[in-house]
Amino acid sequence: MNIQFTLATRYLLGRKLRTFLTTLAVIFGVMIIFGLGGMLPIMKKVFRQNLMASVGKVDLSVTHVTGGTFSPAVLETVRGTAGIGEATGLLRQNILLPASLGRLSGPLSSVNALTVSGVDPVTIQRVRSYSLLAGRFLQEVDQDAMVIPESLAKRLSLAVGDTFTLPSSTGKAEFEIVGIVAARAVPGAAEVYVPLAAAEKLLNHPGQINTIEALFAPGVDRAKVEAQLRERLDNGYKLGPVEFGSELLASLRIAELAYNLVGLMALAMGGFIIFNTFRTVLAERRRDLGMLRAVGASRRMVLGIILAESLVQGILGTAIGMVAGYAFSVGLLTVIGPVLREFVHVELGWPAPTIANVVESIVLGVGITVASGLFPAISASRVMPLEALRPVMGSVYERTAAWRAAFGAVLIVLAVLGLLSGVFSLAALSTVLFLVGMVMVAPALVKPIANTFGRLLGLIFAREGQIAQGNLGRQPGRAAVTASAMMIGLAIVIAVAGVMSSIREGFLGYLDRSLGADFLVMPFSLLLGGGNLGAAPELAQRLREVPGIAAVTTLRLAIAEAKGTSIQLIGIDPETYPAVAGLEFKQGDPEQAYTALGRERAIIVNGIFAAQHAVRVGDVLTLRTPEGDRDYRVVGIGLDYLNSKLSTGYISQANLAGDFHQTSDVLLLANMVVGTDVAAGRNSLEELIKGYPTFTLLDSAAFRKSQEQIFNSSLAMMYALMIMLALPGLIAMINTLAISVIERTREIGVLRAVGSTQKQVRRMILAESLLLAMAGTGFGILAGLWLGYVMAGAMNVSGFVLRYYFPYTGVLLAIAVGLVFGVLAASLPARQAARLDIVTALRYE
Amino acid sequence: MTIIQVENLTKIYGKGETAIAALDHVNLSVQASEFVAVMGPSGCGKSTLLHLIGGLDRPTEGRVLLEGKDISLLDDTELTEMRRRKIGFVFQFFNLIPVLNTVENASLPLLLDGARPELTRARATDWLRKVGLGDRLSHLPDQLSAGQQQRVAIARALVTEPALILADEPTGNLDSQASAGIVGLLRQVSNEWGHTVLMVTHDSRLAAYADRIIFLKDGQIVDKPPLPQGRRGQDMEAL
Repeated sequence: MNIQFTLATRYLLGRKLRTFLTTLAVIFGVMIIFGLGGMLPIMKKVFRQNLMASVGKVDLSVTHVTGGTFSPAVLETVRGTAGIGEATGLLRQNILLPASLGRLSGPLSSVNALTVSGVDPVTIQRVRSYSLLAGRFLQEVDQDAMVIPESLAKRLSLAVGDTFTLPSSTGKAEFEIVGIVAARAVPGAAEVYVPLAAAEKLLNHPGQINTIEALFAPGVDRAKVEAQLRERLDNGYKLGPVEFGSELLASLRIAELAYNLVGLMALAMGGFIIFNTFRTVLAERRRDLGMLRAVGASRRMVLGIILAESLVQGILGTAIGMVAGYAFSVGLLTVIGPVLREFVHVELGWPAPTIANVVESIVLGVGITVASGLFPAISASRVMPLEALRPVMGSVYERTAAWRAAFGAVLIVLAVLGLLSGVFSLAALSTVLFLVGMVMVAPALVKPIANTFGRLLGLIFAREGQIAQGNLGRQPGRAAVTASAMMIGLAIVIAVAGVMSSIREGFLGYLDRSLGADFLVMPFSLLLGGGNLGAAPELAQRLREVPGIAAVTTLRLAIAEAKGTSIQLIGIDPETYPAVAGLEFKQGDPEQAYTALGRERAIIVNGIFAAQHAVRVGDVLTLRTPEGDRDYRVVGIGLDYLNSKLSTGYISQANLAGDFHQTSDVLLLANMVVGTDVAAGRNSLEELIKGYPTFTLLDSAAFRKSQEQIFNSSLAMMYALMIMLALPGLIAMINTLAISVIERTREIGVLRAVGSTQKQVRRMILAESLLLAMAGTGFGILAGLWLGYVMAGAMNVSGFVLRYYFPYTGVLLAIAVGLVFGVLAASLPARQAARLDIVTALRYE
Repeated sequence: MTIIQVENLTKIYGKGETAIAALDHVNLSVQASEFVAVMGPSGCGKSTLLHLIGGLDRPTEGRVLLEGKDISLLDDTELTEMRRRKIGFVFQFFNLIPVLNTVENASLPLLLDGARPELTRARATDWLRKVGLGDRLSHLPDQLSAGQQQRVAIARALVTEPALILADEPTGNLDSQASAGIVGLLRQVSNEWGHTVLMVTHDSRLAAYADRIIFLKDGQIVDKPPLPQGRRGQDMEAL
């Protein structure tokens, strides 16, 4: 084994640049898998974390599965359970503080979010212990008093006696700080305590609580008491903390899948590069391998030498990839950390790769590299000793090529049938069949393509172009592998460009349709709920009274449970909503759906929810509500711009109030009377909104522009990522051209001997490279358009309403990338070929 | 003692009308420590004979006995082992591994046989000194002259103390001075160190170093050297 590793490392070190380039593909793939693998679990964990974790003596907490509010009568049920010592009811919610109320005295001291806990001052102290540092705790007689943690007091320079203003459902509410307690141990938003009645007013939940905290009586069997409590409470309650942002978990899971796919694709491309590189290796070392066999190396030993090389590269690439991946995730967290901190008030910290993540990266990185080296290794072991003395003829290729092309053609026909079938799963399979079929047919197409493009090339490379055409035609297998590498790389670029164009146009379309009102009054975070404090219905009424306003509609928010998962519920007014905004309907008649919403317990679900749970119009959905389980009839499948990515349902505001106790508006849309002075209207609205610091006034044009900018920057990032995926295609081309130079050393020597200049030799290699690039780009564009069309279709199946938009930019980019790669890939081998010593080349066998 | 016994050895390439007999019922034997040169015009089958004797190819008919053992009965693994332990090859183009130094190249057959590294190094160094490369032990092939590279190849061929050394045009890539040096060394391999050497060459001056010259023409052994056109009648002594 030693000699094999010795040879492996020496050969790798002997060609440092090539080793680096091939290992780079592996590094990139592992970097993505490991980097994102270390980051996404942290995000999921933090999102799952109970941001309201208790300190002190609390033994258990009771909340509703929807996170919604419920009657204080439930508290009596808990208290009445044998084995429960003490219990208290709280109304607790995270709210985001607008900058104006964060008492900014510098970026480091800004506070973006708080947890407001409305408590019964007497019973809470029986359940929890508070370590007072200054002032006093809340008392029964208090109305607008507040107790804050020491950490908050320090950050905002607050003291006992100061006034602290919070946003409220009626605009603002001022509280007097009466006490400061020791900071709690658990990280998260700072928790402030106000009397329960004050919290009810602040959060617009009169007479409601949403958490019960309790202590067991001394000496009881805790499991038994919990079981008894579960029996006494209905299924809608759970023993444990409220989780915020659980609907985001679905989005994170999708993101995780998507990034793992990208990482796998990159690794697969890396594997392809390794495979192509070892083909180069075989060509260069055929004589060495023949000699090794001649002096007594067994087939297994030769196999071992090549596999050892791929193993060393795999280990090296994986190790560097993991280090790069960690740095990548640190970089990403540095960029998105502040955004998450501001909008979702979570602190992510450092990436924390798990053992599973490490093992996965190692297995994939090393495994794919070694597997890619396997076929070349087997070929190498079959090198006959006589090759040390003379070359082997290539006639065998012709027979297998014809067989492969026929099989590939069959696959392409099947792929076309699959796409035409209209069945999505068949269409998805057909994309794989199409790509594999193209790779197999490619060798047979090289000659006709070389002839076709050769004519074009002949305009620039009059003499060298013909030689280049002939060279490719003589080795169609090698040319096809390279063109295939380019094809796959560029197909990915075009496919993703097609999907991104469709998503961009589709989402901007939703935006125009669902948020097309003249003015939007919205919380400064785009995420509905998750800490955004709504406004009491009075704000909408006051908006309607502004001169020049034609119509106002509002959205309200609650969380329910359906089919075992969380679903975000948007409460709409079925009369005003379609007039001012509207949903993009995928199924169901809009007019009938809105009418039903107003008359009964009806629900319109969005595509994501419908796809995940196979829900159709006419189905009955049981929603778990704070008032118990309620049946809602599905009357449509539709979505709006802001909630297209989360499982969402739309019900009437009347039902939201009745079943979920929600009457706060979290988004208001207003249309002006046609012909009125827009500027005057805007001024009036801004004056009104001043009293509601949580809300911002936006006109739809400005909002659309900001969203377009976000899309465009995401598109740019995706293109950058995709170009990196296409990079392996470049490496494959360099390798192929390098082999071509080696195998035609004597031929190039003859060309030089009979009068070809160095420049002409360079141009010949360049012409070959451009022909390969044209073939690869052509195939790639075709394959990519097809793939993109199917992927857009997939998005339709998973719940979005998307039309396929032709990616003009993507196609132009692919052509440019392909031609540039063609030139770049040729530069090194062309120089090598031109500099060959003529005499040495003529002697080469 | 007979090291090599070749009986009715035939090698035909191609089939039917295009079949060519590279070797045609050749019989020969080589004794221990003998230095035999094989000569003949291009395409006469001399390299084919070497390949078959060395187990690099399989005959169409006939057999080769190496130390009394019929090598045509061996499978690929046994042939490989035989080549490793019983035969040393010296090629026209040296065929050194470019990334290994002199000692490592010379040690290759022993390393492939799984010998201990210290023993391997010692033996290789010893042979390298004998062939006059004691001061080039850590050089890479591209740091050696053509003659020196061929000497490394000879040391590699000798490192397993094989029964037979097969040299295929060992001076084909060397100038006359280096050629003489190499063939002189092969002479030493036979005379002093007692190994059997079978050398293919087209150079009669170098063939003269051998104990015996075998002439091949059209795949058959002939008594007299086949003469080029226009020089009929001259015999070997005149050369």
